[in-house]
Amino acid sequence: MKHLMVRWLRERFDVESIRGPLKHQIEKPLPKNIGWFHTLGSMSLFLFVSQVLTGILLLVYYRPTVNEAFGSVKFIMTEAYVGWLYRQIHAWGANLMVLIVFLHMLRTFITGSFKKPRELTWVFGVVLFLLTLVFGFTGYLLPWNQLAYWATTVGTEVAGSIPWIGEWIKTLLRGGDSVAGETLSRFFVLHVIILPWTMFAVIVIHLFLVRFQGIATMDRVGAEKEIKKGEGTPFFPHHMLKEGVVFFILLGVLITLAILAPFDLGEKADPLQTPHAIKPEWYFLPMYQVLKYFPKLVGIFIVSLAPLFLFLWPFLDKTKERHPLKRPISTAIGALALLSLLVFGMMAHLSETKREFFGRTYQFDIYGIPHPAAAEGGELPGNRP
Amino acid sequence: MASFILLFFLLAVPSAVQAQSSIENNSCITCHSDIWEEELKMSVHGRENILCQDCHGGDPTTLDFDAAKALGTGFIGVPDKKKIAETCGGCHANVETMNFYGLRTDQLARYQTSGHGKKLFGEGNAKVAVCSDCHGAHKVLPIADPNSPVYPLNVPKTCNHCHGDDKLMSEFGLPSGIFKTYEASVHGKALFEKKDLSAANCTSCHGSHGAIPPGVKDIGAACGKCHVNEKKYFLESVHVKAAEEGKFSECISCHGNHGVQRASKMLYREACTTCHEQGSAAAQEGEKIFHVLAKSERGLKTAEALVKRASIEGIFVEEETGALEDAKTNVISMAPVQHSLSLSKIAELYQKFEEVAQEIKSRVHKKRQALKWRRAALIPIWIFILMMACALWIKYKRLKGR
Repeated sequence: MKHLMVRWLRERFDVESIRGPLKHQIEKPLPKNIGWFHTLGSMSLFLFVSQVLTGILLLVYYRPTVNEAFGSVKFIMTEAYVGWLYRQIHAWGANLMVLIVFLHMLRTFITGSFKKPRELTWVFGVVLFLLTLVFGFTGYLLPWNQLAYWATTVGTEVAGSIPWIGEWIKTLLRGGDSVAGETLSRFFVLHVIILPWTMFAVIVIHLFLVRFQGIATMDRVGAEKEIKKGEGTPFFPHHMLKEGVVFFILLGVLITLAILAPFDLGEKADPLQTPHAIKPEWYFLPMYQVLKYFPKLVGIFIVSLAPLFLFLWPFLDKTKERHPLKRPISTAIGALALLSLLVFGMMAHLSETKREFFGRTYQFDIYGIPHPAAAEGGELPGNRP
Repeated sequence: MASFILLFFLLAVPSAVQAQSSIENNSCITCHSDIWEEELKMSVHGRENILCQDCHGGDPTTLDFDAAKALGTGFIGVPDKKKIAETCGGCHANVETMNFYGLRTDQLARYQTSGHGKKLFGEGNAKVAVCSDCHGAHKVLPIADPNSPVYPLNVPKTCNHCHGDDKLMSEFGLPSGIFKTYEASVHGKALFEKKDLSAANCTSCHGSHGAIPPGVKDIGAACGKCHVNEKKYFLESVHVKAAEEGKFSECISCHGNHGVQRASKMLYREACTTCHEQGSAAAQEGEKIFHVLAKSERGLKTAEALVKRASIEGIFVEEETGALEDAKTNVISMAPVQHSLSLSKIAELYQKFEEVAQEIKSRVHKKRQALKWRRAALIPIWIFILMMACALWIKYKRLKGR
């Protein structure tokens, strides 16, 4: 059967000319420094595929209208055959994808893999990370529940504060003055058509660059030696087997989270009832918190510096060294950025909540500063009028 | 449009100016400016330009003290209580005058039939309440104004000014501690604590202008104004005959009057035996009703707790919450129905409740089982995943070793 198929193909195509480069790509050796953290890229790809597949299943029942969106998601979670499973895998997959893409970038940063000649691979990687965030932002609204509605209202309001073009962007996103049916339609089209195809195209470019330029070694810039056959780890089957191990574990984690920690659908969006302490998804929390400390324009300027620096970093860090300890300034800046993300994210998470620490109750104001709990109904210090 | 605005100015502006000038030129206000500023000005009468001379008589056009109060000016000074009722009635019983304001005109007629009015007009007793005692004299505010003494929330305190006065009430042989009893009652708590303006206050049962204590036969009608269904089912009960014969004072025989508390099933154990002997057929029937009510209360609490717990566990319980409302409706319906004292009717409601409660229980159980299965499915899933991961890992190690 196999021979028949090969013969059939050989009679029609110049198989030999394709076979050579394909074999070269499959057997291309990877550097010795390749470790488990190098599987983060393929984990991101796996999650993208998982999101596409579960997304297609969700599309079977989902209705992108104000009247039907919430009900259709509820139907998926309660009535559709294993709907609860693919909805939860989709929701958890979105969160894990942000985390894993970020960790993949972090690994690339720490190992200095973004340096010459792979600057463009990094830039496309940043594009993929930003696309993942936009995926999250647009997908969050689609169940049309209270939290999603108000988080989108706040999110689009932030976009509206950008000088000169803000109002235009806000109207473009919302399709009107407020978050409504038009917004849902736009986010839906973005989420299921524009973003997946854009991301697919950027992934293809990113992967092509990775394969074409090869995986970075830890050698100094310009001193990288070509890995000869038999020197490194073969991509297939060696590295693929490692990726297989990680794939199965990630699949297990996804299913376990879907079953043991399912996402709540909450209440249907009500434009007339604003819930207390609206917060965006966890991956936007640091940005959301920073915006609180500065006047609107200054805050937006500071927040927009982050993606700008991400894009420009390979062109700013000109040192030849890749090892993190041999380029201390770059590593220190990275560590500081990571620390600030964690601190601001935690402060945003705690802000406007009441928590107990060491037997004492604290109220966290909108800036995330703890105050000993006031009497019931007491005003939170620092609350804006 | 322009002609309309012109017409408005021609008509409205002069009348406003006229009202202002009549106040400024009113000699009563010139001397009694304190009463005007602090009371009359903000009253319904002051706002309608009904001024001092309209109740007290006198000539407000002269600044001469004697001439203003001279004979022929109709000056009456401080009116006595009878005169107050008649003076107020002069306008408030006049259909032509009141028609414009959309107010009733039967207040004086009703007052004359009230306990207060009969004492005043029949016996000449001036210690009874008259219009100004409840509504105020100069500062009469609309009933809907929360500062008005006759605003529903303030009525019990207003009545208590006189009815809480030991000395005054002893002259009429009436109790003076009603306010405290009422305050602790279910109606008093609803009014004072929940600020529920629809809760019964003194006037709801006794009437306002025609205030009179309801007689034994009228109690049911007074309570039945609000408790319509309870009254309806009571009329089907065995107690109706005794009530018609005046031997049984409908509602208050079991529930009490001013101090009425939230009715509980315990009344079947406490109230029945005040008339019926312990162990009698009637008392036993009451005990049976008690048991059905107790069972339904327990059942409802269990069903509510079950749905709540399931919701916390992350189960969608919208349908069960809806069914719970049906179950609750059946239990709530028992409250009026039990006034018929018909065990079969109450049992019928209980049966309906029980069916819904069982349905809720089985639905929640089914959903819980589904969740349990999902969790249990994690074991074979992880066994498979670990086996695959191990197999791939072993293969990798072998290849690396070559």
